[in-house]
Amino acid sequence: MFFRLVADNFRRRPRQKLLTAAALSLGMAVATAALSVSLDVGDKLAKEFRSLGANLVVTPEADSLPLEIGGVDYRPAQAGAYLPETDLPKIKMVFWHNNIMALAPMLEVEAQVSRGPTATAHRAVLVGTWADHGLPLKDGSAFPTGIAKTNPWWKTEGRWFSDDANECVVGIRFAEENGVKIGDTVNVSADGQNSMTLLATGLLTSGGPEDDAVVVPLGIAQKLAARPGLYRKLYVSALTKPEDDFARRDPKTMNPDELERWSCSPYVSSIAYSIRQALPGSDVRVIRRVADGEGRILTRVRTLLWLVTFAALLAAGLAVGASSAASVIERRSEIGLMKALGAGRATVGFLLAAEQLLLALLGGGAGYALGLLLARFVGSKIFGVPPAPSLLVLGVVLALAAGVTLAGSALPLKRAANYNPAPILRCE
Amino acid sequence: MMERPETRNRRMFWRVIRRMVFANRGRLLVILLALGAGAAVTAALLNLELDARRRITSEFRSFGANVLIVPKPAAAANARADQTFDAAVYDGIPEHNGGDRVEKAALLYGIARASVASFSGNSTARSGEELVIVGYKNYGSDLSDIFGNATVLEAATPTSADHAEVSMEFSKLLEKGKQDTVATEGPAVRPGFAGLTGCLAGEKLARRLGARVGEWLHLQANSVEAYCRIASVRRTGGPEDSQLFLGLEVASRLLEKEGRLSTVAMRVPGNSGSVTGFIEDLEARFITLKVTPVRQFTENEAKLYGKISGVLTATVFLVLLLTALCVMAAMTNIAAERKNDVGLMKAIGGSVRRVLRIFLAEAALLGLAAGLFGAATGMALSIGLGKAVFGVAAEPRLVVYPVSVVLTVMVAILAAYPLRQLANIRPASVFRGEE
Repeated sequence: MFFRLVADNFRRRPRQKLLTAAALSLGMAVATAALSVSLDVGDKLAKEFRSLGANLVVTPEADSLPLEIGGVDYRPAQAGAYLPETDLPKIKMVFWHNNIMALAPMLEVEAQVSRGPTATAHRAVLVGTWADHGLPLKDGSAFPTGIAKTNPWWKTEGRWFSDDANECVVGIRFAEENGVKIGDTVNVSADGQNSMTLLATGLLTSGGPEDDAVVVPLGIAQKLAARPGLYRKLYVSALTKPEDDFARRDPKTMNPDELERWSCSPYVSSIAYSIRQALPGSDVRVIRRVADGEGRILTRVRTLLWLVTFAALLAAGLAVGASSAASVIERRSEIGLMKALGAGRATVGFLLAAEQLLLALLGGGAGYALGLLLARFVGSKIFGVPPAPSLLVLGVVLALAAGVTLAGSALPLKRAANYNPAPILRCE
Repeated sequence: MMERPETRNRRMFWRVIRRMVFANRGRLLVILLALGAGAAVTAALLNLELDARRRITSEFRSFGANVLIVPKPAAAANARADQTFDAAVYDGIPEHNGGDRVEKAALLYGIARASVASFSGNSTARSGEELVIVGYKNYGSDLSDIFGNATVLEAATPTSADHAEVSMEFSKLLEKGKQDTVATEGPAVRPGFAGLTGCLAGEKLARRLGARVGEWLHLQANSVEAYCRIASVRRTGGPEDSQLFLGLEVASRLLEKEGRLSTVAMRVPGNSGSVTGFIEDLEARFITLKVTPVRQFTENEAKLYGKISGVLTATVFLVLLLTALCVMAAMTNIAAERKNDVGLMKAIGGSVRRVLRIFLAEAALLGLAAGLFGAATGMALSIGLGKAVFGVAAEPRLVVYPVSVVLTVMVAILAAYPLRQLANIRPASVFRGEE
């Protein structure tokens, strides 16, 4: 009888039910779309922010003070300390290895550079690094990385050099001043010895001091500086979570529980900490300029989107609640009849609640599907990748739908339960 | 006196509406709640969205300088550290770009030897560490506008007292009989002595020298010496960590480069187009110098801003659209139950147009009331929300208020529009309870 009553009601007034369901599913579509975008946007934007390049820099701990002006270290190659290149695969073995997007070691050396063996030589800085390097990992695979990934704003005309060839990429200003073109050969020598001939495969525009330099494979810079297998500076680009006050605390002052929580969150400082432990004798620094700006903006955007989501949930909830309240109000005479026929308050309440719940689940499900489509549209329009559908969102949306319909119906239901059937049946 | 029929009609019209509005308190409340919530969300989100675009742009400040002025490299590209230009350039930079202030700093780089000053022992034993010193001058803004945020590890108390402290410390120094002339940050009175100043030490440098806040450093470049007192120790993660920042005048005397600069660093506000315009303007003004955008930040700022504002706008408009539809569906649902009223009105001779007009007027009225109140709530809400997100209260944009009210009224009227279909119901069947 109970199910018959419910089914009958749906069959008898399809229009009304459809409208309530429409309000519900639209409301839930808002909730789904806003929730999916908010849940996803942090990670997506964090990836976008990696176009700012490296947010960590590793230098030798025992180093002397670098005499770095305008991005060029004026220390002679003999001064200061170095780090071994052979330790680098260890970085991809730290706890946060999946968050490490790219790394590039650097070794700068001052050299005499000339176009062809006969032209006059000019002093220039050679920047030794990896262009597109496969870093061999322990599991046998290679991790593709290099300067093009840590400094994505560097633009090359032509192509990057191969790491094991005698090739180089020439800074645009150096090239213009010395008439170097792609395909030319460039002679480099450090202190008159160790002369090498390199093929210029590309011209580099960085907007920085590298425009005056020549970028060469790391191995060549090591040979010229007579520092085989060593580098001076390592740039690391890592996906991080925006730092909060907790993240900025010194890990030495934390108790074990806090330390665990801290090192299990991908804060930039905890990634720096784990790299420091993987590379002995290193000093890992967070490039505040990049990391802080990223953190601040990400936190803001995320909070903003959560607010939008919350507002959407609120509006959807109220509208849906109003809609279900209306659908109860209009059924006063029906309720009166049921009570006149001897239905108790509990029976009436239960019947109507069951109806509303059924509606909530149907409407909520439809709304979830619609909202997901909208979120996909927004996601792929802006980031090129749609957000992954999340079961969590489905759960939240269905619970919300059930919650608001019941809450919306509760007050009129309570009043309906107290109706005196006689005046209602007399249409008073 | 007889009233004219039109007046009577109008009075009747309003009377009907008044009765209809207040006939069912529960329904009235529900309608106002749904419409008001819609209006509040519309107003709050629109206001927040307008405000956020501006705020996000200003958040990019934390990336530091985005435009640099450096010397054009000489043909024989020797060490760039030695190249300088006239300090007058600094004053020739426009103060504003598109109404917002341009933060700028004049910088002079050089190499000096530094050691922690000890005023008790003899001064000849000093050797010191070679390091990069940066003379800087910037009005009204702190270094974070240029070098990004720094973690200040240690800082001395108020900087306004620095000058007095410097003189006081120096008189103590005099008492020890080491110097014979008083020189503060003013002109160097003695040849070979550049003066005294406060300085900011990078963390690496402070650790290397074993220096702490409040201690004096002795600086020596060629034959000139100077003293500086460490005001704070900072960590940025950049090359600044191993540099020493001190007053420009003392630094330029120390390096014997008075009136010269190595770099002017600027944070130019605005979108990429206006920054490019600013750069072109500067290039035309200083043809002997190179004005260069910091591409790492300028290019990405535009890109990131595009993404962020895209997400925000898309989400906000999606939410607004769906909220409107949702409110509309709820309202239609409520309106659909007015069959009896329509039946009665038609039975006592109301024309379809008049009946419809009554219902639309009622809807518009309710929309207006809910809109006026809801939008005001929403505006107030967005001010508080802006504070929660950006730490600064969102500026209320007046245009948002009427827009939200009009939207709400429109939603209410559109929601009542399906009543048109009720116009062709037959009163008799309604009263018999057939439909």
